[in-house]
Amino acid sequence: MVELEVQVLSDRREGLLAELGRAVVANGFSLIRQRLTQDSHGAWLTMIVRGPSEQRFALEETLGTHNRVLSFEASLSGEDAVATAVFAKSTPVAVHAPSPEPPPIIEPSATPSAAVMPDIERVEHILPKLAQDYPSIYPWLVSLENSVDDAVRESSLMLAGRRTGAWVYKRDYALGAKLGLSDAIKRIGVPALRQLADIEQQGVHVHILNSPLCTPGVQSGCKFYGGYLEGLLGASVTPKKVFVRHLSCRSTGAPHCSLEISH
Amino acid sequence: MPMHVSYNWLLVLLSYAVSVLGSFTSLQLAVAIPLATTPRQRTAAVAMAGGAMGLGAIWAMHFIAMLACDSGMHVTYAPSLTALSAVVAFAACSAGLMLVGDALFSWLRLLAAGSCMGLGVGAMHYLGMAAMMMPAVISYNAGLVVASLVIAIVASMAALWLAFNLRGPWQMVASALVMGFAVCGMHYTGMTAATFTDNGGQLPDGYADGLRGDNLGLTVFGIVGTLLVLMLVLHYWRQRYRSSISI
Repeated sequence: MVELEVQVLSDRREGLLAELGRAVVANGFSLIRQRLTQDSHGAWLTMIVRGPSEQRFALEETLGTHNRVLSFEASLSGEDAVATAVFAKSTPVAVHAPSPEPPPIIEPSATPSAAVMPDIERVEHILPKLAQDYPSIYPWLVSLENSVDDAVRESSLMLAGRRTGAWVYKRDYALGAKLGLSDAIKRIGVPALRQLADIEQQGVHVHILNSPLCTPGVQSGCKFYGGYLEGLLGASVTPKKVFVRHLSCRSTGAPHCSLEISH
Repeated sequence: MPMHVSYNWLLVLLSYAVSVLGSFTSLQLAVAIPLATTPRQRTAAVAMAGGAMGLGAIWAMHFIAMLACDSGMHVTYAPSLTALSAVVAFAACSAGLMLVGDALFSWLRLLAAGSCMGLGVGAMHYLGMAAMMMPAVISYNAGLVVASLVIAIVASMAALWLAFNLRGPWQMVASALVMGFAVCGMHYTGMTAATFTDNGGQLPDGYADGLRGDNLGLTVFGIVGTLLVLMLVLHYWRQRYRSSISI
């Protein structure tokens, strides 16, 4: 079990606790106590929640992409905090140089869920920089790619992508009706992704032509685009959840990176 | 004997510009209706959008267009019918925007909302025409009246579809231009359907107490000024909101 202190900023307080309380409960957490205040920036909701540690990432993602949330911070409290903080801490690695040698084999982790858990601390650290420099964000993404363990690189890029996509949606595309998946891809996904990369779109398939995150023979950064599209389109086609499948990547010798979007 | 009607083209263009301005402001407000989380927010958004559309894009446009129309007679307007035409435009637009301003888009809703707004535009126009007091009687070509209503309904549907389904700069600009076309297309087709026949100089009762062009000009000026202020405030608020969203 883990106890989190979550602080959320919203533009208005009406219904905020009820809506976020539902998100907390839906992720297997229970609300211990809460405080709701108002200042010139908006409504601040502070919640102490307790729940399974493996659901922490899911809860933070839900809150981070919630349409009522302008910003949020989450920190651990209690003795579980130490364990999770140690888990989340990663060792910086050197920039990989192109090498003919096969990629290193990653040892299976002692904790099964650890392999898919992102490095939340590093992602959280880099998110404000992504927002500040958007859409010129590749230097930060490459930095993130190189600073996290191989085991958590893809999930960290995916989390960064989801948070960035959800933020771009709230900022630029939230006004209007909810769309069907194909319309959302055409009217939201494609123009938003074109700010980041040269792409081609055919139905539910998106091809990223020259991704700087996916260098041939080195490592794949495609997970960022997958997360980005999931965050971007997820709020637009609710209540359905959007999934992105990675079909091919330049890093494995394909001519371009291909993604398939579904819900 | 039918009377010849001529137009001041500058005022005709101005009527289209006012209609586009009102539509732009209204649709900017309307696309935020799906984001409302409480009934109060939703009601406020619908009322403001309906007001900008009904009073700005339709009612103000109509009377600018009527000022552009020169039939060679002095015309005044019955205050009660003129006020009723404004209320009808506001109510019809609010109802239409409430129907389509739901989070989930459907063609049935679009048809209902477009019909509501199109018929609202038509009702406002023909009530406004009925409010005219002058030494003439008006008769209509039924086919053109129907055509004017069809134009209003179809173009309203197109404008609402663009506003709620497109994204990016064209979402607002294209929908406002099309909605302006809906209102002006309906109005000028309706005017083409009307024939003014001299009744031998008989003035209707209450002619002297009717609203005159200068009264209407001031009212229209007030509405257009309010629309501009509303648009600026909305733009400023959206910019602040946009920058306050953290990643």
